[in-house]
Order: sequence, then structure tokens, then C-alpha cells
Amino acid sequence: MEGNLAIIGYGLSAIGPGVGIGLIFAAYVAGVARQPEVRGVLQTIAILGFVLCEQLAIFGIALAFVFS
Amino acid sequence: MTTVVSAAEEFVPPSAPDFWQPLVGDGAFAITRSMIVMVLVTIGLAVVMMLATRRLSVVPGRGQYRLEGVYGLVRNSIGRDIIGSDHFRPYVPLLFTLFTLILLNNLMAIIPVVQFPTTSRISFPIAFALGVYVVYLVAGVRRRGLGGFLKNLVPSGLPFWVVPVVFILELVTFLITRPVTLALRLFGNMFAGHILLLLFAVGGEFLLLNGDGLLKLVSIPAFFMFFLFSAFEILIAFLQAYVFILLASVYIAEVYADDH
Amino acid sequence: MGAIDNAADVLAAESGEGGFWEDAYPVIPHPGELIVGIISFAILYFLYKRFVVPRLEAMLAERQRTIEGGIERAEAMQAEAKAALEQYRAQLAEARNEAAQIRDQARAEGQQILEELRVQAQEESARIVARGEEQIAAARQQVINELRGQVGGLAVELAGRVVGESLADEARRQGTVDRFLDQLDELAAGTPDGRSGSTVSGGTR
Repeated sequence: MEGNLAIIGYGLSAIGPGVGIGLIFAAYVAGVARQPEVRGVLQTIAILGFVLCEQLAIFGIALAFVFS
Repeated sequence: MTTVVSAAEEFVPPSAPDFWQPLVGDGAFAITRSMIVMVLVTIGLAVVMMLATRRLSVVPGRGQYRLEGVYGLVRNSIGRDIIGSDHFRPYVPLLFTLFTLILLNNLMAIIPVVQFPTTSRISFPIAFALGVYVVYLVAGVRRRGLGGFLKNLVPSGLPFWVVPVVFILELVTFLITRPVTLALRLFGNMFAGHILLLLFAVGGEFLLLNGDGLLKLVSIPAFFMFFLFSAFEILIAFLQAYVFILLASVYIAEVYADDH
Repeated sequence: MGAIDNAADVLAAESGEGGFWEDAYPVIPHPGELIVGIISFAILYFLYKRFVVPRLEAMLAERQRTIEGGIERAEAMQAEAKAALEQYRAQLAEARNEAAQIRDQARAEGQQILEELRVQAQEESARIVARGEEQIAAARQQVINELRGQVGGLAVELAGRVVGESLADEARRQGTVDRFLDQLDELAAGTPDGRSGSTVSGGTR
């Protein structure tokens, strides 16, 4: 079996952001369902949170290529 | 690049070297494909913008309406709402430049003939992040002076022994983490997206040419996925450009944070 | 991060093997691309700052002014419309007043006409009643007169046949008839009961 351990590392590093992004958008959907008029504000905040969460996975993919 | 890969008998998955495409020369200053794309995008954007804003009317036409939509998104939804209506004006050109340039470069991943996202070469995200970095550092120092700027990194009311730790953490965040993540995020997204597209295209082609019997049929879902992800890449391209200037304006807004 | 660690390698690669950039980590910035990126970005930023954004801002400001002017005009027009409405309402109220007055007047006139008509009708009916009474009286008088002539003749003839004696003598007959009629008159004027009637008839006999 061939492959690279670094990619497994990337897979592991993607778990956390995956869960986090799911939580962020779940909260966003719940918030918009409860108060549709604040959608614009929530959207910006949700995307900001999504981005901050996603950066961990991006680190993961960058480092996976660094250590491959 | 795809022809090279599929000509081989054994399947070679796309990887980082596929992004290195020198056209003239080799080495650190070779003229690469992404350079050409970047220059063309810049020239195209400059020409289109100069022509589009040559005659602006109060009652917009169709083209001006679209331009205004983009400009309004950058100016109002991001600049004004995040930086604040008192300070956002000097930063609008920066944000608008970043948005249009990044968006167009990202979209190069899908546009036929080019089909190579410039921003998947990390040099370009670094160049963009460097611009933001310089701007928000200069803005912070100009606003408070160097001493005030450093003092402002630590929130007041902390116990004295925590202060150095927080100071160092904040300094690292401010000076290193932020620009690096800003550049890496854009690069990582476009790089990963392009690799995924390459994987489906190259894999589908390999199956079609070298697969035996029914395996050839498997290339159909592979190509289908290629189109699906191409559409998805449009969304990613827009989102990453949006996120880039969103974060840039959040960093800039922090300079004026205690104002209100 | 990787970029910092591998800076030495980058510099080494510049002078030697050409394959370095093909195998280099993708997070290492290519110097040529970096320079091109910064220059392109700088040029575009300059163009935007110098031309594109000021033009757009100027247009937005002018639009703002236009819209504000439009709002002012609209407010003026609204005020005008309001004044016109007020005027119209005042006129309407006046007209209503007038109409009410006219109505009252008409009602009073109608009352008066009614009154007059009633008086007239009463007079008319009174007149009719009076005439009817006159006619009745005249008819009664006529009947009485007629009856007086016939009843006299008939009674005398009847009495002559009963008595068997000719009452041809003019003078006597006249006297008898008159006396009878006088008694008849008395009878009609007095209480018409059987006893007085028999008294009369007994007297006649």
C-alpha cells in the first residue's frame, strides 16, 4: 500500500474544522429561522466564523504538502 | 499537463509539481504561466474599469448597474458596515482592488483556455496579504503611535503576570498569524480546489483511454463530478474573494475598535 | 512558515539545478511570481485609487444630491396637495352648510304649504257641508210644501167618503184643511207620541 502519512494528518486536521463549521451553520440556520430580519448581520458573522474555523484545515493541507 | 499524465501507462495522480509551469526560462525568475495570467487579468481589469467608469451617469445603464452592484457590496456591506462609516473611505480602493483582482484570478480556474487559478500559486496570495498587512500596520501606528499601538494590543484590566504572555501572543497574532493565514487560506482553497478538478479530469481521462471494458464507463461519473466541482469552484472563488476582503476589513476595523 | 525554513534552499536553487521549483513545496513563494504579483497589485491599486473609486464616489455623491433634491420636490408637492385638500374640505363643509340651510328652508316652506292646504281643505269641506245642509233643508221644505198640498186633498177626499157628506163647499173645506194642517204642525213640533196624536185626532172629530 502506497501513500503518504501527511495526508492522513490532513484528514485528522479536517475533522475539527468540519465539526466546527457544521456547528456554526447550524447556529446560523437556527438564528435565521428564529429571527429572519437579522439575516444580513448573521450571514457576515457566520462566514467570519466559518473562515476562522476553516483556516485550521487549510493549515493542515499546507503542512501536509510541506511534510510530504 | 493532462496529456503528459494520461500518456503514461500507470496512473499518476495530480500533485504539487503540476502547478509549476514555466514558459520561458527556469529557476527563481522564470516567466511562468500564472505570471502571464496575472498580468493579463490585471491589464484586462484595469482597461475594463477605466472604460466603465469613464462616463458614469446618475441613472445607471445595464453595465454600470452591475459595476455598482459589485462596488456597493465592497463599499457598503463590507467597508462601511465593518470598518464603520467614519473611517472606511480611505480603504475602499484597497478593498475594491483586492476583491476584483482576487475574484477574477480565482475565476481563472474555470474560464476555458486558461483554466488555471493564479491564486493557487502562493506568491500571489502573499502579495495581496502583504498589501493588507502593510495597510493595517501603518493605520494602527499612525493612529496611536508605535507605543500606543503596542500598548493597545493588551486589553486593559488583566492581572500583571498575564500581561507579557498576552502581549507576546497578540504580537505574534498581529505580525505573523494574520498575514500568513490570510495568504494561506486563499492559496489553500484554490490549490485544493484545482487539485480536485485535476483529479477528476485526469482520472476520467485515464479511465477512458487506459481502462479495459466496463471500466471505461466509470469515466462518465468522473467527468460529471468534474463539471459539478467546476460549478462549485465558482462559488468558492466568490466566497474566497469575499472572505479575503472581509478579514482585511476586520483587521483594519480593529485599529478603530475602541472609538465607539 | 515553510517559506522561512526553506529560504536557504531557495537561494541555493537559484544558482543550480532547475528542477528545484518543480519539486518545491507549494507553500514556498516563487520570487518572480511574487514580484509580478506585487507590481500588478500596486499598479491596479494606484489606478483604482486615482481614477476608478473617485469617479464612482463622485457619481454616488451626485446621485445622493439628486435624490435629496427629488425628496425636497416631493415634499413641496405633498405640501401643495395638502393645502389643496384643506381648501377642498373647507369648500365641502361650506357647501354642506348651505345645503342644510336650503333643506331647512324647504322644510319650513313645505310646512307652510301644508298648513295652507289644510286650512283650504277645511274651508272647502265646511263649505260643502253647509251647501249640503242647505240642499237638504231646501229639499225638505219642498217635500213639506208638496205634502201639504197633497195630504190636504187626500185627507179631505178620504174624510168625505167616510162621512158620506160632500165637502164641496169651498169655504168649509178650506177651513177644515187648514185646521188639520195646523194640528199636524203642532204634532210635528211637539213630542210625537200616540196619546197626543189621539188627542189631535179626537179633537178633529
